[in-house]
Amino acid sequence: MSSSQSHRLPSGGLIDRSAPLNFRFDGKTFSGFQGDTLASALIANGVKLVGRSFKYHRPRGILTAGSEEPNALVELRTGARREPNTKATTAELYEGLEAASQNRWPSLRHDVMSVNQLFAPIFVAGFYYKTFMWPAKFWEAIYEPAIRRAAGLGRAAGVADPDHYDKAWAHCDVLIGGSGPAGLAAALAAGRSGARVILCEEDFSLGGRLLADGGTIDGLPAAEWLSRTLAELAALPDVRIMTRMTLFGVYDGGTYGALERVNDHLPSPPEHQVRQRLWRIVARRCVVAAGAIERPIVFVGNDTPGVMMASAMRTYVARYAATPAKRIALFTNNEDGWRTVETALGSGLQIAAVIDARPDVSPAHRSLASKGGFPVLHGSVSGVDGGKDGVRKIAVSLTGGARAEVEADGLAVSGGWNPAVGLTSYHRGRPKWSDDIAAFVPDGAPPGMVAAGAANGAFGLGACLAEGFTAGSAAAHDAGHSGKAGTAPVADDEAFSLTPLWHVAGKGKAFVDYQHDVTASDIELAQREGFESVEHLKRYTTLGMATDQGKTSNVAGLAIMAAVSGRSIPETGTTIYRPPYVPVAIGAFAGHHRDETFHATRLTPSHHWAAEQGAVFVDTGLWKRAQWYPRTGEKDWLESVTREVKAVRGGVGFCDVSTLGKIDVHGPDAGAFLDRVYINTFSNLAVGKARYGLMLREDGIVYDDGTTSRLAEDHYFLTTTTAKAGLVMQHLEFCRQVLFPELDVQLTSVSDQWAQFSIAGPKTRDLLREIVDPAEDLSNEGFPFMGAREVALRGGIKARLFRISFSGEMAFEISVPARFGDAMARNLMLAGKPFGVTPYGTEALGVMRVEKGHVAGPELSGTTTAADLGLGKMMSTKKDFIGRVMAGREALVAPDRQVVVGVKPTDKARRLRSGAHIIPKGQTPGPGNDQGYVTSVCFSPTSDQWIGLGLVERGRERTGEIVQAHDPLRGEDYEVELCNPVFYDPDGVRQRG
Amino acid sequence: MAEFSWSPRSPLDHALVTGAHGVRDIEAGISLTEIRNFDLIQVMARRGKAAELANAAKGRFGVAAPNAPKAVQSQDATLIWSGPDQFFVLSKGGKHTMGTLAPALSGPASLSDQSHARALISISGAKARTMLAKLSSIDVHPAEFPVGAAAATSMDHTSVTLWRGGDRPDGQAVFNLLVFATFAESLWHTMLDAAAEYGVEIAHSEWLA
Repeated sequence: MSSSQSHRLPSGGLIDRSAPLNFRFDGKTFSGFQGDTLASALIANGVKLVGRSFKYHRPRGILTAGSEEPNALVELRTGARREPNTKATTAELYEGLEAASQNRWPSLRHDVMSVNQLFAPIFVAGFYYKTFMWPAKFWEAIYEPAIRRAAGLGRAAGVADPDHYDKAWAHCDVLIGGSGPAGLAAALAAGRSGARVILCEEDFSLGGRLLADGGTIDGLPAAEWLSRTLAELAALPDVRIMTRMTLFGVYDGGTYGALERVNDHLPSPPEHQVRQRLWRIVARRCVVAAGAIERPIVFVGNDTPGVMMASAMRTYVARYAATPAKRIALFTNNEDGWRTVETALGSGLQIAAVIDARPDVSPAHRSLASKGGFPVLHGSVSGVDGGKDGVRKIAVSLTGGARAEVEADGLAVSGGWNPAVGLTSYHRGRPKWSDDIAAFVPDGAPPGMVAAGAANGAFGLGACLAEGFTAGSAAAHDAGHSGKAGTAPVADDEAFSLTPLWHVAGKGKAFVDYQHDVTASDIELAQREGFESVEHLKRYTTLGMATDQGKTSNVAGLAIMAAVSGRSIPETGTTIYRPPYVPVAIGAFAGHHRDETFHATRLTPSHHWAAEQGAVFVDTGLWKRAQWYPRTGEKDWLESVTREVKAVRGGVGFCDVSTLGKIDVHGPDAGAFLDRVYINTFSNLAVGKARYGLMLREDGIVYDDGTTSRLAEDHYFLTTTTAKAGLVMQHLEFCRQVLFPELDVQLTSVSDQWAQFSIAGPKTRDLLREIVDPAEDLSNEGFPFMGAREVALRGGIKARLFRISFSGEMAFEISVPARFGDAMARNLMLAGKPFGVTPYGTEALGVMRVEKGHVAGPELSGTTTAADLGLGKMMSTKKDFIGRVMAGREALVAPDRQVVVGVKPTDKARRLRSGAHIIPKGQTPGPGNDQGYVTSVCFSPTSDQWIGLGLVERGRERTGEIVQAHDPLRGEDYEVELCNPVFYDPDGVRQRG
Repeated sequence: MAEFSWSPRSPLDHALVTGAHGVRDIEAGISLTEIRNFDLIQVMARRGKAAELANAAKGRFGVAAPNAPKAVQSQDATLIWSGPDQFFVLSKGGKHTMGTLAPALSGPASLSDQSHARALISISGAKARTMLAKLSSIDVHPAEFPVGAAAATSMDHTSVTLWRGGDRPDGQAVFNLLVFATFAESLWHTMLDAAAEYGVEIAHSEWLA
């Protein structure tokens, strides 16, 4: 063992002394035990200095024993797993743990930046805003980076987190947050009633304050009652107890957020396990038994290492058998603080003095003092003499004005308790002030939620048990469970007498918010400067804005604000409470959804065949599509794409177009339905024929396009673009269910049912004759352009064949049930071998559609009308259709609209870029003469130059005009000629051939 | 003339590796079995013909088709609710096809073949519910999701149909999942990730149980 655990009591505590653990802090090796936190293990080793403060780099020690800790933040773990700002007070010790202090250089004991303390008078609230205002551009470049280096928290790992996180749902009747006496009593009542219960506990041990404070319940010592209760809960069929789980938020409909630290207590998660899991819990009722947080008193030097919350001090002694100090002074304004004295004396520690701010101390405590041989001083702590090695002496202002000094190496402070009102306030609730305990308590809660025990301001053990039991029983009943809850556990209530004391005035720094280095004088300054609203106070001073969200500081800050502004604390009010209750790693929110699994992906039926061919895939929406199929020796994508285009135009190629949305439109009114959703007519389409259709939105703008075929009298097969597949299905369902419920029409998405391939090129028919049953007539007469029908294939299956062309070539689309898609790709290769068949990807597809002047996504941009696309004549005048009326609006039929036109550079060698703006020749580019832009470009192997489509003002009237393409993004200006958008086979001879 | 073979390929053919996955030193908590050979027909009542369809379905299958999110087992088919006045007919491959169902149902209903549009995965094992909790917001507690319960829901932002089939001979619950074919491989990997920590036994079967 590498160190002596000099501050470990010889016996006692809830640590497993048979399981020693070695760990390192700032490079030094220490040892602790299973059951320790990093904080308790450091205390057991006599470590007092654990960090430097945010702004002044003041030495800081451990203040609390829980998740409210503002000071003891460390970088836990190393390398890619390094986690900054981890609270030592909640980090469980494990073998080999490595932690480093933060915000110091070169070392914790000798921190160069502590010179900031010398300048402390100028680092007041608003200092940065006031000082670094000019010149403005220096802020981002110089001031902020420098300040961030000097003042800051831990360092992020800087590399990808190697661990996994996931998310899960849970459902219950009664959700209970906290396993202290109130939470356990609630769980007993709800569980016995037959409710499904989830009990969440942030700690790794169940019991809450019982673990440190003990007590007597049902005549049993707390520890025994606890183990009996846990055994009973474990035996109930539907009670789920989850430790290391923090309930951090409440959302609509009784949904709660919780973070489970599944494997934070291990060096790294076991294989296949996650580090943390984010839970969404749907609960009919929720009992918040989250306890209360002890609050500091603000006095000069209250941040000296060795000054600790009284409850934390006794937690370390009683639960961890670790002694933060050998000779302890207590500064309290309430009865509860004295429990630390009782615990310390019981563990053989010395009490130096009790400084009690109240006028009276109970006779029992007086006799305890005389028995223990320590003085009880009526007054306040006015200063602390000490530094990075801890507390040495404590200055006391006695009631009446005299001064005293107390020699001690630790100071326990209790300023009273604040109920944890976060969860109950997250739906914009504002807690109310309770004079009895001088604290805010919940004033209502989100629907279905109730607070119980200390979280509700009931501090006595008996009251916690009673409130918890009542709340649990009522919650189970509300959720429909009326089984017998039995009797509530019973205990006495301790006295809780408190005289409010927030701030002991004095010369020197007295900290309110330890983590953000906000002092009492900062709050006074903010008030003087007019930041009187608490929301302004918070933002100006940054009070409560650190990672601890002011759990120990907010109420004291409000109280000081109230005092200086002459208002009461409830008049001053609280800031808005927002989740999460504790910091939650973004990784936990992301869960599985990162990197390659950021979102679900869709694969085409021929995906794995294409992968075998070496296809390069492109993400289009959720799809992975084959973009091109590089061949050995090709130097870049353009060479591959150009080869594919030439192969199609000169022979035959095929492309998987299964990504197109496909919808079965059934029913006697299918034709009438399509007439209403398309601008052109489909009811008169003959069975066995396909037609190109265009849909508008209600506002008259083009929505989507595609071909629709009539397969039977009452059955159309509609296709959409890849991008709009899901949206068009939704739109059509809306039309069917809401707009036209009188029509007898049924819709089914069949996008995934069919593998569909486009086969294009002059040798298409030759290829098809190889694979299609010889009895099928594929001649121009037997299967004319825009024909659509089922055909038999060689080898025994049937396919649907559509004579449609996107490429401008003689082309068919063939579709087979999707599980035959892989075989179809292989068989097309086989059938096309004699004709040099070439698979092509989406790039070649795009090139050929631009050559042919077909519009696609960049032109169907949500701003274009049918006329803009050159398709105005398709708009039927003989029927009504969605978008018809609005498409007639003045601006949508204005003659100067930007319409689709072809563009080609006057310099044939120049590359075109989409996005370039069109400006009249000779004019200076600017918004006033911006006449449109280039939407789609490609290198056209057929034209042997770059060509494009654009949306240009009066474009169709300006064919032949030379205009200026202005591309400020790439810094290019060049001339292009406006031309017919159909660059290839404008008469359509080839596709009909 | 080339010889063409048309062997169907499951959308999970590439991703599914039979055997153990994930943690191996414990008894597998999850069984994932893909069922490959099935027919799945979407049946949607035509306007005003829901009652007629119900009668026709009763006559055809001997059981009433579900009119709420449920899955009903007949002798040779599972009828799964898929929306108001519509349901799926799931059967062994070749049992209830478009060809055999159309004459019986196409009067009161529109039929659409979905046999190739979905992958069918059966999930069971001691940790099945725990694993499903990672994927689905549906409460699969035995009291809330009994045998025959069904849901049209989503997993990993992917639309799925989930229903509880008959229990395994060892009494463990079986959850069946239909997922769109083009999403199947993606969801499969997500499922494996979710299940790996419990140990997974992976299989595929040609035939619906």
